Amino acid sequence: MTQATDRELIPEPQNPLGLDGIEFIEFATSRPQALGGVLETFGFRPIARHRSREVELYRQGTMNVIVNAQAADVPRTVVPTERPVISAFALRVRDAQAAYRRALELGAWEIPVRALAMEINIPAIHGVGESLIYFVDRYDEFSIYDVDFRPIPTVYPHPPAIAGMHFFGIVQYVGPDRTADWTAFYSQLMGFTPLPNQVRFGIMPSGLLLESPCRKFFLQLIEPEEAARFAQAEEHLQRIGLGAPDVPAAVAELEKRGVEFLATERVHSSERGALTKPLPGGMMFELVKSQPRSAGAP
Amino acid sequence: MIFHDFGMTTASLAGSLETKLAAVRGAGFSQVMIAAADVVAHPGGTAAGVRAVRASGLEVTGLEALRDFEGLDGQLHAYKVDVAKAMLEICADLGGRLLLVEASTSKHASADAAVIARDLGKLALLAVPLDIRIAFKGQPWSRTARDFRQAADHVLRVNLPNLGVAVDAFDVLASGVPLDDVDILDPDQTFLVQISDYMWQQIRSAEEQRATATHFRVFPGEGAHSEALSQFIARLDTIGYVGNYSFDVYNDDFLQMPPETVAMRARRAAVWLAETVLRRALPVPNIERLRAASRA
Repeated sequence: MTQATDRELIPEPQNPLGLDGIEFIEFATSRPQALGGVLETFGFRPIARHRSREVELYRQGTMNVIVNAQAADVPRTVVPTERPVISAFALRVRDAQAAYRRALELGAWEIPVRALAMEINIPAIHGVGESLIYFVDRYDEFSIYDVDFRPIPTVYPHPPAIAGMHFFGIVQYVGPDRTADWTAFYSQLMGFTPLPNQVRFGIMPSGLLLESPCRKFFLQLIEPEEAARFAQAEEHLQRIGLGAPDVPAAVAELEKRGVEFLATERVHSSERGALTKPLPGGMMFELVKSQPRSAGAP
Repeated sequence: MIFHDFGMTTASLAGSLETKLAAVRGAGFSQVMIAAADVVAHPGGTAAGVRAVRASGLEVTGLEALRDFEGLDGQLHAYKVDVAKAMLEICADLGGRLLLVEASTSKHASADAAVIARDLGKLALLAVPLDIRIAFKGQPWSRTARDFRQAADHVLRVNLPNLGVAVDAFDVLASGVPLDDVDILDPDQTFLVQISDYMWQQIRSAEEQRATATHFRVFPGEGAHSEALSQFIARLDTIGYVGNYSFDVYNDDFLQMPPETVAMRARRAAVWLAETVLRRALPVPNIERLRAASRA
């Protein structure tokens, strides 16, 4: 490299954290078995339990879902109640500590370290509402679950995904006129890019889509509709979007397992996507037509 | 009410927090700027201060003021980030959506625009999850931004949606910023306008300006610059400013007077500005929303 190129302005890398998809999504609830039942109808299997906390790991295919029944004792984090809420998501990154330090440097709120002895400390920052964003870098040779979790005996740890389902994204409800703020948050701290308004996935038309720099998943920011703009509403992670290469096939498979989908004039299953009826506890899942992106794909 | 986008600060009033809030409300205001010291110095503790504000029924214009934040390095920077986070949390607890940040006067502060942008950007991102906007205000004796023009330059450089400027009428009255320069303001990134007047015709030195700003301000309509102040407000209205006006009156005499009396003077100022300067004859509900919609 010549001196001249050394002096060139190096643009900010498009994927500053080396983001590589979602490692897990965490729900908090005081009724973990009820939620577990719902997850199982979607094809998730309980495969491991945390060694010291009331926390379980569910999995299908590439998707890990954590069910957490224990409060973190950290201000502005979820205290589990009967109604399950999405309390965190974990991002796979190149170097978790580096990602964490960079986020703090740029203006993220740190979560105090709370790992116990012999447990991996997963660095985390505050996200929307009471939710957390974790940074995980051990997902290749061995995983965070190998240390902190004890496998449930006799259960196969890698249950296949139903109809090729994979994490597509997370829907975040934001306050009126707050889309720009949150877009700045995710783009500055993590390198997300807003998609043009005409790019649409699934059947739910509203909101702004932010694409992860690894192009493996999306965050969708949705503001309240006109009539609800002046009502008080907490910002939160509202639902998970599950990608499926063939949505009608996935819908059929899930219906066989007892999942019901909305079939109103405005919202109904199609090639593009589907939305479940509210599940026990008020949760919803959305299906979106999508091919899984393999690891390392651009 | 024709002046519901006007408010005053608890810093103008004597007495306990509850007394101040009651005086503001009693004078007919629907919003109040909260001086952080009034909350944290509450005899019952910060939580009791927060409860008092919430119980007052007044909308919180914002929390003031984070000072000497930007331009520091190392330990000093880390310390100020902690201060900022504490203020952001108090602001959120109060139900406030704006933190006023006064440009640094610290001798340790760098005047390097890149460093200032880095710090203001960090502050704005810290404020995002709490739904708080950062209003950056220049001060004539600051090392980083002397008036709203310089503050706006820094804000523009950072370019984050929840970072904007606070404009102090004092800039135009005492520092001699030309009225035409109001036109450089982006109304969408102007988050707060603070207004006050003072008695002197002329300010002779920087020291006198600072002393005047911090001890001898009076309410609009009571001072020597009513005409200039009127033009300033009218100009802000012309460029499409639809945010709040807060009386930013620091006056030692007012702290020796009953808060009810001072709050009534503020009300008189609000009525004068609304009726005479902004020519609002009729009370129109939701006027900002209507005006924002008509601009869009």
